[in-house]
Formats: sequence, structure tokens, C-alpha cells
Amino acid sequence: MRRAALALGLVALLAWPWASPRYFVFLASLSVVNAIVAIGLNLLSGYTNQLSFGHAGFLAVGAYTAALLTTRWPDTPVVVTLAVAALVTGLVGLGLGVPCLRLEGLYLAMATLAFGFVVVEAIMNLDWLTRGNDGLRVPAARLGPWALQSDTARYYLVVAVGVVMVWAALNLARTRTGRALLAIRESEIAAQASGVHLARYKTLAFAISAVYTGVAGGLFAFVVGFLSPDAFDVFLSVDYVAMIIVGGLGSVPGSIAGAALLTVLNDSLAGFQSYRPLIFGTLLILSLLFMPGGVARAFRFLKGEQG
Amino acid sequence: MRYQRAWLVALGALLAAAPAAAEPGVTDTEILIGGSNSFSGPLAFTGEQITKGGVELYLRVVNDAGGIHGRKVRTLWYDDAYRPQDAVANTKKLVEQDKVFAIIIPQGSPPVVATLDYLEEQKVPLLFPYQSSPVTRGKRWIFQGMTVSDRSSKMMIDYLAGRRKFKKFAALYQDDEYGKSFLTAFEKDLGRHGLKLGAAESVKRGVTDVSAQVAKLQATKPDVTFLVLVPGPAAQALKERQKIGWSDTLMVSTGPLTDERYLALAGEAAEGVEGLSLWPDPATSDLPGVKLYREHMQKYAPRNEPNRYSMAGYFAGMLFAEAAKRAGTNLTRESLIAALEGIKGWESGILPPLTIGPDHETQKQGFWVRVEKGRFKPVTDWLKGE
Repeated sequence: MRRAALALGLVALLAWPWASPRYFVFLASLSVVNAIVAIGLNLLSGYTNQLSFGHAGFLAVGAYTAALLTTRWPDTPVVVTLAVAALVTGLVGLGLGVPCLRLEGLYLAMATLAFGFVVVEAIMNLDWLTRGNDGLRVPAARLGPWALQSDTARYYLVVAVGVVMVWAALNLARTRTGRALLAIRESEIAAQASGVHLARYKTLAFAISAVYTGVAGGLFAFVVGFLSPDAFDVFLSVDYVAMIIVGGLGSVPGSIAGAALLTVLNDSLAGFQSYRPLIFGTLLILSLLFMPGGVARAFRFLKGEQG
Repeated sequence: MRYQRAWLVALGALLAAAPAAAEPGVTDTEILIGGSNSFSGPLAFTGEQITKGGVELYLRVVNDAGGIHGRKVRTLWYDDAYRPQDAVANTKKLVEQDKVFAIIIPQGSPPVVATLDYLEEQKVPLLFPYQSSPVTRGKRWIFQGMTVSDRSSKMMIDYLAGRRKFKKFAALYQDDEYGKSFLTAFEKDLGRHGLKLGAAESVKRGVTDVSAQVAKLQATKPDVTFLVLVPGPAAQALKERQKIGWSDTLMVSTGPLTDERYLALAGEAAEGVEGLSLWPDPATSDLPGVKLYREHMQKYAPRNEPNRYSMAGYFAGMLFAEAAKRAGTNLTRESLIAALEGIKGWESGILPPLTIGPDHETQKQGFWVRVEKGRFKPVTDWLKGE
């Protein structure tokens, strides 16, 4: 049953560009990119209870790393580019994770919020490298002899990477690290008493979360094709938090559902122009009121399990 | 057999009814155009005004008069909140889903630049983007809106160094494409007059404290200080100058800066400031086109107030309608481009007679203004930007 559903899902993902109008291929790519960020954020917030309002910053680091690398060395295989983006962003995450160890709740949210602003400022001020406010055009990603120039080619790249990231996240919960993270979420004191090194695992959660977001950032750069500091404002970070809350904290399928839902919603509300933020906000509040555990719990509830 | 014939007749009728090669966004009764713009985010007011307050205002006039060759023009706007990724998504949606005929007046360099290559590749006309950097040059499907920086610079320097005989120049500029493209142009144009830009200080975007830069510029004693900024920091520079009593320099604002918001922010510190204005005063000008603009606003949007953004959008709507009319009943993207390129000496009643030609620039002139009692008073007639 489960295997059949998985196989069906995979076939649907692969067939998507041939079955749907062209614009939805692009939109699906964007949804998958956001889903990877949401999974990364959920590993941090849902698993270890550390809320971050700075993930747009990590996304920017990943995106600019990938873009600059590809601009300088256009022949770099995209797999390498994404790995470098993940590494750089992971190191930044590690760097942020250490000072954030002492902070909790609101204070942590403030610190990560500040991080988001710092990244945007840094991009503006390092204009010899990033072209500052003028923005950066991103060359096409290359995979061996192919340049991924069409929406469909980029979609398959994004989906392939997405599947790997999802698989890794699902399996993380079954590893020693995953169990340690979950233990921290349930109770820091209890976790510590059972021998979980709090500082190490909380910092590690930051790094893993940053790695996910860095990979997503690299994909974001190729999918959108243009980067500027305006792309990574604080509202984007808030969008990611909204995605995991709507999807369900601590759930990988929930992260995917939340990301897809909000990406499509945000896109379809663009036509409401100045009312967009109002409608978006109202829908978020309604979903929090009536679906407090997110899509993931609502789904379990419908299946007759206790949430 | 009888059925077969009936089918054939029906098929024939269908084929006859379908136009030979349907142009996206154009039917017998309608033309669909649209754009991605800021309806939320930092430039929401400008976005709302250029699109709904401007383009739509003029198109309502056109539609009420029967449309263009019997086709009513419908508009479709999407919000991008000044984010390039949303601008890309919206533009793709407009082209691929909504199948618009053309994109009109998107705003700001980052969102516009993010979509340039895509639109050029898809051969979709990008009409009059509202940004001043010259990145839009040399593209077949793009017609620039705002006066490009190097033309502004030529008008400013020829007037100040040529007619007014000023010798020492300095500039306070925003550290991005907008500021730097002006700086390069200033240096080149001053060179033609055998002069040099004495000093230049940069301001990062979003910074509001410019006191250090103003003090440094004062020390170089320039006759003229250019402000290549956006309203917030520019108004701050004027207030700072007043505070430190720096009165022996003429402050001059660039075209994109010379607007009412800048005046309102600077208050009395703006008194005596000069600048290049790209538009006649929307509230007081007696030009026939501007009067008509005010009448139309009175009639269709009485709750709105005349302002340069809505006038820029109104002008864009007017120019589109003119080109679509010239393109004839068989309106295609190709014929629209040809019609725009063929515009010569066209009278809008708002700007001087317009000739577009192969340079694809739809705004090339400005005139000199001085701030007196909180308003821009014209000092010269239209200056030459070519």
C-alpha cells in the first residue's frame, strides 16, 4: 500500500512537465525548492524547538555561493556547485548555531531575525563580489555536456535533489542524531539526563538546517535566474516559518505540504495586488485556529488516529 | 452519409471561424496587457499609481470611446512586492497562462532586469519599464520608459557648465547601478566641457544618515553638488546642509529624484534647490495634455490626486494606445514594435513631440526647475538630451 503510493507519487512527479501547462512546471520547481527549505527549518524548529526567522539569510548564502561559483567557473557540474553551496551555508549555520546556544524562544527568534538582516546588508556592501543592489544574473546550471536551460530541465534537477533531501530527512529520524534531536524537543533536561550532549546536538541541528537551506538556495538561484538582496527580505523568512506551521511542526510530509500550499497560495494571490498580504494573513490565522497541528495532524485526524 | 456531410460542414465552419494565426492576448473584441508591479512592499504607492492610477486611467478613456479598432483594452496586474523571484513568476504567468499581448510598465531595476532575458527570448514586448538604468538598451522587444541616466546627465551638464558657467562639481550618489551610471555619465560630459568631477561620496541604499558624506563634500567647496539619491536620504542631505550652514553650493537633483515626495520630506530645507524635471508639474501645469489628465482623473478617479507616478502611467497607456492604433486592425507583436519604432514628432500634450526610432527610448527630455515656496518652478524650456 505504502510502496504503491510512493511509486505513484514518483511517477506523478516525473510525468508532471508533460501533463501540466508550462507555467506550472516553474511553479512546481519553486514549490520543491521551498519544500527543501521547509524541511531544513523543520529539522531545527520542529525537532529541537529552536525557531528561526533568518532562513532567508541561509537561502541567500546558498544562492549567492552557487551563482558566483557558476559565474566564475561556468563548467562546474551542478552537483558540485550545490555541494559547495551546502558546505558554505552549513559552516555559516554552524557559526550562528554556537552563539545561539544560549538563547531560547523569543531571544533566539530575535537573533536569527538579525542574522537575516546582516546577510542582506552584507550582500549590499560586498558589491565588488555580489554586484550589490544591482543584482546578479545566474548562468544556466551545467550537468556534464548539458546546460539546464529549460523550465523542464531545471524541474528534473530540482526534483532529483528534492527526492534525495526528503529521503535523507526521513531517515535522519531513525539515526542516533535524529533520536537525540527529538529527545531535545520533548525535554531538554530529560535528554541531557539520558546522555544527549545538548550543546553539540543543538549546534548540529543548526548546521543541518543550514545545509538543507543552502542546497535549496543553489536551486533557487538556477530556477529564478536572477538574484538581488530584495529577494531575501524578512518576509521570506516569515513565509518559511508559516510553511512549517501550516504543514505541521516536526513532520517531513507536513513540510512538503505546507511549502507547496503556501507557494501556490502566494502565487495565486498575486492578482489581488495590494490586498495580497491581507488575504494571506487572514488565511494563515484561520489555518492556525482550525488546524493547529498543521496539515500533518489534520491528515492523521482524518485517518481516524488521535493527533 | 448524411451525418458525415453535416460533420464536414461543421468542421468547415469551425475552421473558417478560427483566425489564421491568433496573436496572444488579441481577439476581435479585446486586447489583454498586464504587468508585475509593486502593490505591497517598499514601492507600493508608486506601483499602484503607475498601473491603476495611470495606465488604467487612460485606457478607461480609450475604452469608453470605443476602444482601439473596436477592441477594448483589458489590464491584468500582479503584485511582486519588489521581489525579483515574484516578478519572474508573475511575468511567466502573464505570458504562459494569461497569454498577454504585452507587458507594460513594471517597476524597479531588480524586478525588471530579472525578466529581461526571458521576455526577449519569448518575443513579448516589454513596454516602458519604470527604471532609469541603461540595461534595457539594444533589445528588440523592449522600449525603455524613464529617461536613461546618460541623457539626463548630458542635459544637466550642458545647462550648468554651458549656460550657467559653473566650474566646480561634486556628487553625492547612491552606491548602485542608478548612482554609478550617473557618475560615469557626469564624468564624461564634464570632460567635454574641459572640467572634472571634483569629489564624489557614496551612500549605500537604505542608509539615512549622510552627515559624514555631506561634511566631506563641503570641505571640497564645490559650486554645484549633485544629489543622485532616492527621496529619503536626499531630503536628509538637504537638512544636514541646512544644519551645518553650508550655503555656498547649489544642490541639484537628478530626474528620478525630482518628485513631490522628495519635496515633502525635505520641507523648507528644499528651498532654492534646483534639478532636472522629467515631467511637467502634474497639479499646476497648463500644458493641454496635463490639463486633460487632470480632467480624466476628476472624472474616473476623483478620490486620487494628480502625481507624477500616475501621470507617467497615463503617458504609458497613451503611448501604447497610439502604437496599437497605428499597428492597424491586424495587431501583432511585430506590428506593435514596428508602429512604436515609426513614431515621429508625436504630440502627447504632456512631453515635447516624441520620436522613438531604433533607440527604443520613449522619454529623452527634461527641463530645469527651482524649488520656490515648496513647489517646482520651471526655469527653462525643454532641454536637449541628444
